[in-house]
Amino acid sequence: MESATRYRLLVVEDEPTITEFLSTGLGYEGYDVEVATEGQTGLDLMKKQEFDIVLLDIMLPDIDGFEVCRRLRARGYTVPILMLTAKKEITDRVTGLDLGADDYMTKPFSFVELLARIRALLRRTKGKKKTTRLKASDIVLDTETREVTRAGNPKHLTPTEFALLELFMEHPHRVFTRETLLNRIWGYNYIGDTNIVDVHVSHLRDKIGDRPSRMIRTHYAIGYAFYPEGEP
Amino acid sequence: MRSWMKLSLRARLVSLYLGLLFLSILVLSGYSYLDVRRLLIYNTAIRLRAQAKPVIEQWLFPGKSGASHTRAAAHVPRRIPKLASIARPLACDLTSRDTAALILDRNGKKLANGKRLPEEPSPPLPDPAYYRKALAGKNEVDYIMKENEKLLLVLLIPLRAGAGKKEIMGVAQISTSLVPVHRIMVRHGIVLVLIAVITLLAGGITAFLLISTALNGLRQMAHTCRMISEGDLSQRVNLPHHRDEIGSLADAFDHTVERIEATFESQRRFVANAAHELRTPLTALRGSMEVLLRGAQDDPAAVTRLTQGMYREVLRLSRLCEQLLDLTRLDVSSNINKQEVNLDEFFEGFLQQATILGRDHRVTLEKGPFVLVSADRDMLEQVMFNLLHNAVRHSRSGETITLGWRLVPNHVKIWVEDHGEGIPPRDLPHIFEPFYRGVSRVYGNERGTGLGLTLAKAVVEAHGGRITVESRPGKGTIVAFLLPLN
Repeated sequence: MESATRYRLLVVEDEPTITEFLSTGLGYEGYDVEVATEGQTGLDLMKKQEFDIVLLDIMLPDIDGFEVCRRLRARGYTVPILMLTAKKEITDRVTGLDLGADDYMTKPFSFVELLARIRALLRRTKGKKKTTRLKASDIVLDTETREVTRAGNPKHLTPTEFALLELFMEHPHRVFTRETLLNRIWGYNYIGDTNIVDVHVSHLRDKIGDRPSRMIRTHYAIGYAFYPEGEP
Repeated sequence: MRSWMKLSLRARLVSLYLGLLFLSILVLSGYSYLDVRRLLIYNTAIRLRAQAKPVIEQWLFPGKSGASHTRAAAHVPRRIPKLASIARPLACDLTSRDTAALILDRNGKKLANGKRLPEEPSPPLPDPAYYRKALAGKNEVDYIMKENEKLLLVLLIPLRAGAGKKEIMGVAQISTSLVPVHRIMVRHGIVLVLIAVITLLAGGITAFLLISTALNGLRQMAHTCRMISEGDLSQRVNLPHHRDEIGSLADAFDHTVERIEATFESQRRFVANAAHELRTPLTALRGSMEVLLRGAQDDPAAVTRLTQGMYREVLRLSRLCEQLLDLTRLDVSSNINKQEVNLDEFFEGFLQQATILGRDHRVTLEKGPFVLVSADRDMLEQVMFNLLHNAVRHSRSGETITLGWRLVPNHVKIWVEDHGEGIPPRDLPHIFEPFYRGVSRVYGNERGTGLGLTLAKAVVEAHGGRITVESRPGKGTIVAFLLPLN
């Protein structure tokens, strides 16, 4: 995934704290994020640049999100629009969708759900651009069939081990702390010792025969990172 | 009584009305019936007496009588006769087609009967009590008695021994059947009953219609009330405009519901807006935390940025909470703690805060004359703080913000003036509405709660003052309020 296909997102939102976490969080998930704090600047940015998805707030200081959406569609832009708003009334959602928005999320929303909806929108509009097969040296991981092979030999992983390996292969070179791994694989609500991460990483290494080459490397007192070419 | 109270008001009014109508008809027609009957009997008695008088006088006082032309005159002797000797012809003369006569002596013994044919019924003997009255000299004794299921009017006339003499020789009894009177009374009764029935029917129907129309308004109001209590505040009675009591009650009711609906609506809007205002910081907090937990916590720079943002949002939430509480507190006037505030002293203290809040701006004070105002010091400070905060957020750093006060008739005027971008005319009428957001630009990261001006207005008005805004786009804004001087 760390290839040339980084998706570009435009966030049109005037609340500084919200744009802050959106650009940081979406950046971490591998998206390029541009921020516009007013409807007009958002429209201007879209004239100049290509975006894969627009996250559009409705309550904007100058022209509201509905109007931005209407003008975009009137100008013939087909970019997927995901509306973010605090308004919960059905009429508002209907208005948004009728004006050409593709999806709708009400504040406060879950960031994980936002990510899922972004992925869904990308799948719908970009076709099967995103491959389901991840490759790193001679390891192949298929996210759809959930099969893992190393040099053609199938490896049988538990769901946790599979999720760990998928995360590592999606973000090569990135160092994950044990807390982050715990939050992302076991969930935010998991309360327990971080040793469980070490146990599962150890099992994963055993199963994919990672002992000599050391693709999953331990950063002492920090966490783990994945190097496709093996330990330098 | 309980079952009476269970009836509808209409049923009670109609039956009460009908009852009273019936009672008055009953009394009136009863009285009229009895009176007519009495009159008829009295007339009959008078007629009988008038018929009897000349006959009796002719027989008893032949000299005095001018009735010499009568049939009896021929063989009546000129001296006063013995009763027994004249009893038979007298009785016969007193008897006519519809009367029967008896002559009785002082002892009540029947002396003669006027009956001519044997098949005619004999008149009954007199009632002893009345008979004694007649013997005692009472001239007009009459009574009614029943004989063979028929009513008879009986007259007793004392027979005197001579004109002007006191001595009574006997009594003449004249009786007549009351059947003709009875017949008239039956007819009269039928007419009375018919009139009563017609009156009651007509009265009942008109009362029912009248009361129904009158109470219709009430029923409609009850129906509307039920709909409203089920939650539909848009319901109205909408009676056609009558100037009667129920019409004005319906008008008053509609007016009240109108006010309640408006209040509810503004409350609903307020709560919806407040919830909306809460949602934005909550979104920021939740999103920032999720991003931190998903891995941003490993990047110190991101942690700093996100936690600073979260801290800002938490501050905003607490400010919002406090202002919401302040607004509810202002609804109760007893929460205002008025004291004498020396404006010189007040602004000296406030200027210190103001220079911290407006550290990027030039905050200046235009002092007015010495004045004491009666105000809640903390609230006054809060108002000034909100106004200054607005001025700071809506003007570029380095620009001048002026605070000041001066005296105007009966009031002191306090103002905050900035040289920011001003408020567009279309936003001006709305800026005191809770959570209203205009299109104006905000400098810096800090967002208002949307309640600052609402709160300021509420505080000033709770002090009996007025707040005004003047703004020219591009030039700046002056927010001023007047506080009354005592």
